[in-house]
Amino acid sequence: QTTLTVANWLPPSHPLVSELIVPMTEQIEEATGGTVVANILPAPLGPPPAHFDFAVNGVADITFGVQGYNAGRFKTTNIAELPFLGDSAEAISVAYWRIFEAMLKDAGEYDDVKVLAVFTHGPGEIFLKEGDVASADVMQGQKIRVGGGIVHEVASALGAVPVEGPSSKAYELLSQGVADGILFPYESVSFFKLIPQLSDAISVPGGLYNTSFYIVMNKGKWESLTPEQQEQIDSVTGEALARMAGQMWDNADAAGLAAMEGEIEVVTATDAQMEAWKAALQPVVDAKIAEAAETGVDAQAAYDMLKAEIAKETGGE
Amino acid sequence: MSARRFDLRTLLALMAGVLMVTLMGMTVVDVIGRYVFNAPLRGAAELTELLLASVIFLGLPAVALADEHVTVDLVTDRLPDWIQPWRQGLIGIFSGAILAVVAWRIWIYAAQIGGYGGATTTLRLPLAPLGYFCAACTAFGAALSLGVPLWDLYRRRKG
Amino acid sequence: MEHWPVGLAIVGVLLLLGVPISMALAGVGLAGVAAIIGWTPALSLLGSTFFDTGRDYSLSVLPLFLMMGNFVVQSGIASELYNSAYAWLRHRKGGLATATVIACGAFSSVCGSSMATAATMTRIALPSMRKFGYPDQLSTAAIAAGGTLGILIPPSVILVFYGIMTQQDIGKLFLAGLIPGVIGIIGYSIAVRISIAWQGIDLPVEPKLPLLDRIRALKGTAGALILFAFVMGGIYLGVFTPTESAGMGAGGALLLVVLSGRFSFGGLVAVLYDTMKTTAMMFFILFGALTFTNYVNMSGMTRDIQAFLALFGDTPMVTILVILVIYLLLGCVLESLSMIMLTVPVFYPIVAAQGIDLIWFGIFVVMVTEISYITPPVGMNAFVLRSVVPDVRLGTIFRGLGPFVMMDVVRVALLTAVPGLVLLLT
Ligand code: NA
Ligand code: NA
Repeated sequence: QTTLTVANWLPPSHPLVSELIVPMTEQIEEATGGTVVANILPAPLGPPPAHFDFAVNGVADITFGVQGYNAGRFKTTNIAELPFLGDSAEAISVAYWRIFEAMLKDAGEYDDVKVLAVFTHGPGEIFLKEGDVASADVMQGQKIRVGGGIVHEVASALGAVPVEGPSSKAYELLSQGVADGILFPYESVSFFKLIPQLSDAISVPGGLYNTSFYIVMNKGKWESLTPEQQEQIDSVTGEALARMAGQMWDNADAAGLAAMEGEIEVVTATDAQMEAWKAALQPVVDAKIAEAAETGVDAQAAYDMLKAEIAKETGGE
Repeated sequence: MSARRFDLRTLLALMAGVLMVTLMGMTVVDVIGRYVFNAPLRGAAELTELLLASVIFLGLPAVALADEHVTVDLVTDRLPDWIQPWRQGLIGIFSGAILAVVAWRIWIYAAQIGGYGGATTTLRLPLAPLGYFCAACTAFGAALSLGVPLWDLYRRRKG
Repeated sequence: MEHWPVGLAIVGVLLLLGVPISMALAGVGLAGVAAIIGWTPALSLLGSTFFDTGRDYSLSVLPLFLMMGNFVVQSGIASELYNSAYAWLRHRKGGLATATVIACGAFSSVCGSSMATAATMTRIALPSMRKFGYPDQLSTAAIAAGGTLGILIPPSVILVFYGIMTQQDIGKLFLAGLIPGVIGIIGYSIAVRISIAWQGIDLPVEPKLPLLDRIRALKGTAGALILFAFVMGGIYLGVFTPTESAGMGAGGALLLVVLSGRFSFGGLVAVLYDTMKTTAMMFFILFGALTFTNYVNMSGMTRDIQAFLALFGDTPMVTILVILVIYLLLGCVLESLSMIMLTVPVFYPIVAAQGIDLIWFGIFVVMVTEISYITPPVGMNAFVLRSVVPDVRLGTIFRGLGPFVMMDVVRVALLTAVPGLVLLLT
């Protein structure tokens, strides 16, 4: 019997752990007939950005995380994080996995590990303490808490003043009134306990951005498994795992939205807002695709294929 | 030795001064920029992180130089006097070895980060040079942690 | 059971032999991790632990508050503040120690970290208390214990962390921390009296000053009050966050140094060198502690504790008592945040199933794990004091802390017997 150690930097109650990582380990155990089991570590081994290298260096056998935490390392991630891709994390995640298999993995960014899945979070929306939510200028001058990466650029492009801080500091920034709002998916607003701090939300059709995630395995550990075990694990990871991840985020977003009932007024962005924001964000989209193309993959083709696959997934339901 | 210690201290003190004033000044500029001019300092949070690491690791040689690693002195105070320099020497070897390993591993880690172009999120400042700096400071701290107690032991033996 | 108890024992022995705390923890942690996953990955984890933790934004408050403390001393504000306090309290035995505990509580309302509270207050309070003849044993203990209030009185990094981990309302947790924080101040004030009565501490008592002289003495508190109002006001008006308040406070204190006419380039560099040295001492202890925590994390301690707790059935009182004992024992070697990360994920579903309120449990956990900061051999706040004032013996500090730890246990017992005291404001 082989035991895979899973590094975990999130509280065990987080849906990414309880609804994805735990079921994944159960499915691996089941598929391999109990010959491969997992041990999820109770406490983090280090900060979230360190986790990709934990898998590379064999500190843990399986790790998961956000590519954006390692700036400069992953450029193909950009394509899946662009604005207005879609409302369903499941559709985006499945489409993302397909373009990863077909094109993105050729960039070589994941050559040091065995990739079990890449997927995205549900769409990022706008949350504010106050403001004229129907105006196209609603973001103008608002201090918006951002992490790094595309969210910073999206907030700037919409005229907001970006206030930087890790997501664990979001509560402090909003409750002290240092930030006026945040760009987040519904799930994260609820998870980080921010609902009491906010009053308005603008649901942006297609989402303002997505966040890309990975689940990877140490290469040596993977190669130590029998070809049969590898095949069994492949049967429950890859696209199947990306789909389960997307569904998990969609459910978490639905629960987050339900928790806002009566606390945050959620409106849908108007046509005028969407027109203005699409124009404002086009330069960000172009720059991100150009950055992804630096890796040598045909980024525009990958972007087009991503959108086509999302449409296929969404239409197929 | 004492003259050299002094020179080194002056150098470290000046570097510390620059780093710490920048660390403090950045928060002040960021807050004033954000509150008064609606224009925060771009990348302030990550610059703070880089400076924090620089201050910590640059401080290690200063600690070792003064032989001020924090220890539990509940029992050791009661040991006879003649044993102390020997005990200090052994501990210097232990600490020097651990710090040397740490320096080596930070160096390797920095090389790994440099290999894939690891950078800060907003300003895209490369992280590897900071890693090499921290590794060098730790190596220096290792040498001093080993050297200072052994030098004291040597001097006492000579009388 | 795995080999983690052996690791704990080896750390204990190395510490007693006088090996630096940071090096003992890092060495045993590294060897322990290597025994579990092999040397190559263990060594790479070591590099990551030191380099990645050294860049943690929220930890930047430590050097900045320390710098603020140093500037406050240099500007003369600290001694003026203590002169005024002495004028009001000189007829009361141990009055300054009590005042220091209260000042720690006040500082906690702008600072979210125990170590930062202890470090800053050491700089500000210790020299003055020495000047007025207070023995180190009492004054260091008052500061180290007072520092543990930093995490209970909002803002508090650990309560935010607990709230997210267990999905509890953070605002409610902050409110719940207030009364236990005030009880803590009262308890520590009693501890000051106990110290004086039991440990035979001889303190100067002078006749009470006339009211007019005491009022005149208040003049000296202006600088400190302005700085405190500036930091407090900045946070509560939303101009800056508690994390940023450290940098703003340091900047404000430097301004006061300049205004007091005591500024000199040499003095500035000396203060900053000292700050850097102390920062390095504290962070290397933290790195060592995290390396050791990684070992404990991988070694299956959490599973063993879970199994141990299950032996005691499902009586809430018994469960809480067992958890208290576990924390007191672990607290000898581990620090608060490590213990919370390792144990709360397994404890909170168990206590919730027994009908224990999770807001109450959060305050309980914070109070109990904070005791670890002031118990030997690994007591972070005592180490902080040692690194700020290296000429004090650790034994002196821990001896002085006895009555304070006792009052902490009394406080935990009180809040367990009367949970309403925690939940009253929520
Ligand atoms: Na506090
Ligand atoms: Na302790």
